[in-house]
Amino acid sequence: MDGNGSVIEIQGITKRFAGHTAVRGLSLSVPPGSVYGLLGPNGAGKTTTIRMIMNIIIPDEGRVALFGGSGTGRDLSPRIGYLPEERGLYKKMKVFDLLVFLAEAKGVDRRAAKQEAHRWLERLELSAWEQKKVDDLSKGMQQKVQFISTVLHGPELLILDEPFAGLDPMNTRSMKNVVVELGRAGTTVLFSTHIMEQAERLCDSVCIIARGQKVVDGPLAEIKRSHGGRHVIVAVEQGNAQVDGLLQDRTLVAKADNYGQYAEVELAEGGDAQQLLHRLVSTGARVGRFEIAEPTLHKIFIDMVGEDRDAAEAEEVRADA
Amino acid sequence: MRKVWVVIRREFTEKVRNKWFIISTVLVPLLMAAAIMLPILLAERGGGHRVVAVVDMTTSDFGLDLTERLDASDRVTAYWVQAEVVDMEAAADSLTQLVGLKRLDGYLLVGDETVVDGQAEYRGSNISSLSDMQSMQRLLRQAVLVERLGLVGVDPELVQQAQIPVTMATVGIRGGKLTDETGESRFFFAYTVWFVLYIAILIYGVQVMGSVVEEKTSRIIEVLVSSLRPFQLLAGKILGVGAVGLFQFLIWGVSAWALIRHRDVVLGVVGIDVPTSSGFRLPDVSAATLAIIVTFFLLGYFLYAAMFAAVAAMSSSEAEARQAQTPVVMLLVLPSILLIGILQQPDSGLAVTLSLVPFSSPIAMPVRWAAAQVPFQEVATSIGLLIVALWLVTWIAARIYRVGILMYGKRPNLKELARWVRTT
Repeated sequence: MDGNGSVIEIQGITKRFAGHTAVRGLSLSVPPGSVYGLLGPNGAGKTTTIRMIMNIIIPDEGRVALFGGSGTGRDLSPRIGYLPEERGLYKKMKVFDLLVFLAEAKGVDRRAAKQEAHRWLERLELSAWEQKKVDDLSKGMQQKVQFISTVLHGPELLILDEPFAGLDPMNTRSMKNVVVELGRAGTTVLFSTHIMEQAERLCDSVCIIARGQKVVDGPLAEIKRSHGGRHVIVAVEQGNAQVDGLLQDRTLVAKADNYGQYAEVELAEGGDAQQLLHRLVSTGARVGRFEIAEPTLHKIFIDMVGEDRDAAEAEEVRADA
Repeated sequence: MRKVWVVIRREFTEKVRNKWFIISTVLVPLLMAAAIMLPILLAERGGGHRVVAVVDMTTSDFGLDLTERLDASDRVTAYWVQAEVVDMEAAADSLTQLVGLKRLDGYLLVGDETVVDGQAEYRGSNISSLSDMQSMQRLLRQAVLVERLGLVGVDPELVQQAQIPVTMATVGIRGGKLTDETGESRFFFAYTVWFVLYIAILIYGVQVMGSVVEEKTSRIIEVLVSSLRPFQLLAGKILGVGAVGLFQFLIWGVSAWALIRHRDVVLGVVGIDVPTSSGFRLPDVSAATLAIIVTFFLLGYFLYAAMFAAVAAMSSSEAEARQAQTPVVMLLVLPSILLIGILQQPDSGLAVTLSLVPFSSPIAMPVRWAAAQVPFQEVATSIGLLIVALWLVTWIAARIYRVGILMYGKRPNLKELARWVRTT
């Protein structure tokens, strides 16, 4: 790997299809060794972006650099594991032959490919199916085979487009474990998802896009910090009119969602959490809980993307999650 | 190049392992053997031993003479039955019953009018055997001739001599040298070349199409193009299927050659004894002829396979591809129909044109070559034009393929296709 340089460096890529612009002026950079989430609602341009990274489609404007060099995704395919959104295998081939072929197509030596195929099939408990046709496997097993073909050649960079879509919880877990393990071992992972909870658990950096444009990107902790400090979870005894009045004070509180047991308070512009605590205590009410909350990625996403006409779509995302 | 090789190997091993490959490889030589042996078997059946009666109602020795002639031929036993004209129906009735009992194959009715105006009648169970009827008619004609000439006083010896039949053998000339092929065998050979090339280009071209469609519908294509250039994939696929074709023809060619070469042995096993000199002789297939056939097959196959691949790339399903292939198939079928004419007149203007135009030349030129002598310059021109066309078509097809394999949904119209070709 090339020192501190980014594994993926995208500068101002744009892709237009007949009638609409799928990606507009998108720039991002994936640091080496990171687990990077490309987030956005359906149709935001995630798959198009990933296909441009892989050089399957060519950007109309801008450029993509991989490993700090000028090689395309195809030239560098021995170093990259790519799982497309649309999964597909040769249905009539034997599992083992298929894995060897796909590895060889990436430039792996035939003998090494055979060894690795055995090793991975064993690891994901598919050894018994080695000589079976892909068609004879269950959907979940086919997904595993597809996943093996992505990681079999020991790539330095994994690009996974919606890797956990359509997986049952068992398979999701076994694949997530592999991703986490590879990430710990230094493999850079870029994956796209519209499920924020997933990204929140796995990623150290994210880029949120909507309608083909970047909304925010950077290390997850930083993003949370810059959006944090404005949310407070408050639990006080009920029926105190002074407390209710306080939560209506628009100079201090922008919004308060009272859930009964506690209220989620969003501070107003210039409002200070310490001041709120002070005034709560001075009402004489008993404060059971006062917590400055980090916003969830989901909340950040809704705040930044969901305000306009994508709100409906974002709601759908929340339902999915 | 190594990656192209990986694609070729997959395409080849998967196709050769497929049960349809094994079935068709075994079935075709069996059909071939059947096609060769069935006529011989039928001829054998038709030429079996016959028992016939000659119902003689003449007032001369003609009936007896005819009976002797028939009996003298080694496949017929003839009995002489003398009858009065008035008893004819009664005699015929009893003989008909004998035929029904299979004691007799049939009976021949002759009278004085047979000699005068050539009228005779045969009734039997074997009238559909062309060879039986022909040989009987020939013997009857000879007997009538001898009888008529004898009546006007010609010496029977002289008649016998005059009847020695005339046969004309046809011998082909190729490259200024006599060959030992006959007109019949040359026509048969040219026809075979036409049939084999037409079927082969169509079948293997369609296989390439199926293979491309499979990759699209199974969506594996995106995984493939992430590590292979579309052109590597296309080239590997076409070469791989082509190798399957050559392999299959090698198997068929060798088995056909062995079968025909040793057909007396094979037929002997089945219990048929055929003198080796009978039937047509195998044409001598020279190295040059073989080279021409293989060269044009490969070039033609590449040309059509590229077009079939492009058709598949712009379709989203097998059914859609089958519809879209029509123009390509037409391109192959129309000249093939006209080609029947080439077999009759291999040097006509139409034949020469068809053998030079790239889309028809892969079939037309080898057929002309097989049917007649073709000047070397014409063969060279034909190959040259074909290579230029192949280059052009492959270039366009590869561009359509490159864009098409990742497109799903509506099939593109001509304008969109043109844009696909233009995009870099």
